[in-house]
Amino acid sequence: MGKLEGKVAVITGGATGIGRAAAKRFIEEGAIVFIFGRRQAELDAAVADLGSNARAVKGSISDLADLDRLYAAVKAERGTLDIVFANAGAGSPLPLGKITAEHIDETFDTNVKGTIFTVQKALPLMGKGGSIILTGSSAGTTGAPTMSVYSASKAAVRNLARTWAEDLKGTGIRVNVLSPGATATELAKAALGEEGQKVYAAMTPLQRMADPAEIGAAAAFLASDDSSFMTASELAVDGGLAQI
Amino acid sequence: MGKLEGKVAVITGGSSGLALESAKRFVEEGAYVFITGRRQEALDEAVKLIGRNVTGVRGDASNLDDLDRLFDTVKREKGKIDVLFASAGKGEAAKLGEITEQHFDAGFDLIVRGTLFTVQKALPLLNDGGSIIMIGSVASVKGFPGFGVYAASKAALRSFARTWVNELKGRHIRVNVLSPGQVDTPDSQRLDKETREMFESLIPRGKMGRPEEIAAVALFLASDESSYVNGVDLAVDGGFSAI
Repeated sequence: MGKLEGKVAVITGGATGIGRAAAKRFIEEGAIVFIFGRRQAELDAAVADLGSNARAVKGSISDLADLDRLYAAVKAERGTLDIVFANAGAGSPLPLGKITAEHIDETFDTNVKGTIFTVQKALPLMGKGGSIILTGSSAGTTGAPTMSVYSASKAAVRNLARTWAEDLKGTGIRVNVLSPGATATELAKAALGEEGQKVYAAMTPLQRMADPAEIGAAAAFLASDDSSFMTASELAVDGGLAQI
Repeated sequence: MGKLEGKVAVITGGSSGLALESAKRFVEEGAYVFITGRRQEALDEAVKLIGRNVTGVRGDASNLDDLDRLFDTVKREKGKIDVLFASAGKGEAAKLGEITEQHFDAGFDLIVRGTLFTVQKALPLLNDGGSIIMIGSVASVKGFPGFGVYAASKAALRSFARTWVNELKGRHIRVNVLSPGQVDTPDSQRLDKETREMFESLIPRGKMGRPEEIAAVALFLASDESSYVNGVDLAVDGGFSAI
């Protein structure tokens, strides 16, 4: 029997990359998973691959009406929600000196504001035993050149879990941060190129980038009762990248 | 099939508390486990409780001869180690102003020196791709009055993990620290109701941890489920240290 048997999960940014790998793992562990993403074609392909326990809702976490539609769909079909993996996020490089207001707004609207409303709007469907997982980043605790705005947004996400663990006291709902390091998603591979991937592998004590399935395994751990005494924690799944 | 099928684990301080609970869990998941402890009687009881796939080796983790005997036994019986769980450690209270040389030495000998040599002496037997877990403490990132020496010794372990992941990177051996918060053990059950409630009021989860909840995380760190988790200090404390 899987460790998420009968659980209902929402994964934002669930059509590709880390979210998709987590969706696959959650379903293998017995969950029904609603993936949420902006591109219909990717969502369709993901559902075709993930099988009959996957659902897709199209939308963006920076659009509150889209989030309402997501949770209305969960409510209509399942009535309750056990796991929220607030994983959608975005980031682009700009060095200090070149940072624009649009760059800040875009990044923080998605990564911080979007994460806050992803969680807040899920709460009415959640109860005792619920698990919320926020995707942080090794960038949140390191100093990657040109990535200050993205990194600051992920540091903000890490803090949300600290405060929310207190705000959620008495509800039985846990909230933790999963902070991946360099992960070999299709998006990252394309962005980094062959050389960039080698650089990240060499910087990482484990000497390789993560397979997205390894991040999915850690997400399943945080989603399940295996981590029942963990809340407000940050779990770095970075091969040691941000630990040295 | 268990998550540690065919693996060999060595757990120091495994005859009681969280480490014993972890030893039980590891065996349930298919591992063969060596546990150590200083008192033969407690060790025998632990071996009996675990019931199968376990060897008890009496010894003190701060005694290098005892560590040699431990790893000789492991080598002779199994020839390898996949998981090393260094949990031996205890802390006594002494405030700044009242710290004796003996208090300092006892704390650092067992926790820092003992853990360092436990890991170093295990290295020749550790498989490439193995997992090392050290027990830290939330005390290391907090400021509990009276526990300065204990907290500093645990902070030293967290620092070891950072250095060792770099030094061991050619062998893909993972090193992590598991830092438990307040756990319901026979010791904490002796607390009076008021003290207990005071402790629990400081924990966002609202309840102390149960030993099996720590063992579940130890299993995660020991197994391939955490194959990309390396060099971390994982707080398992109901949120206590994060707020």
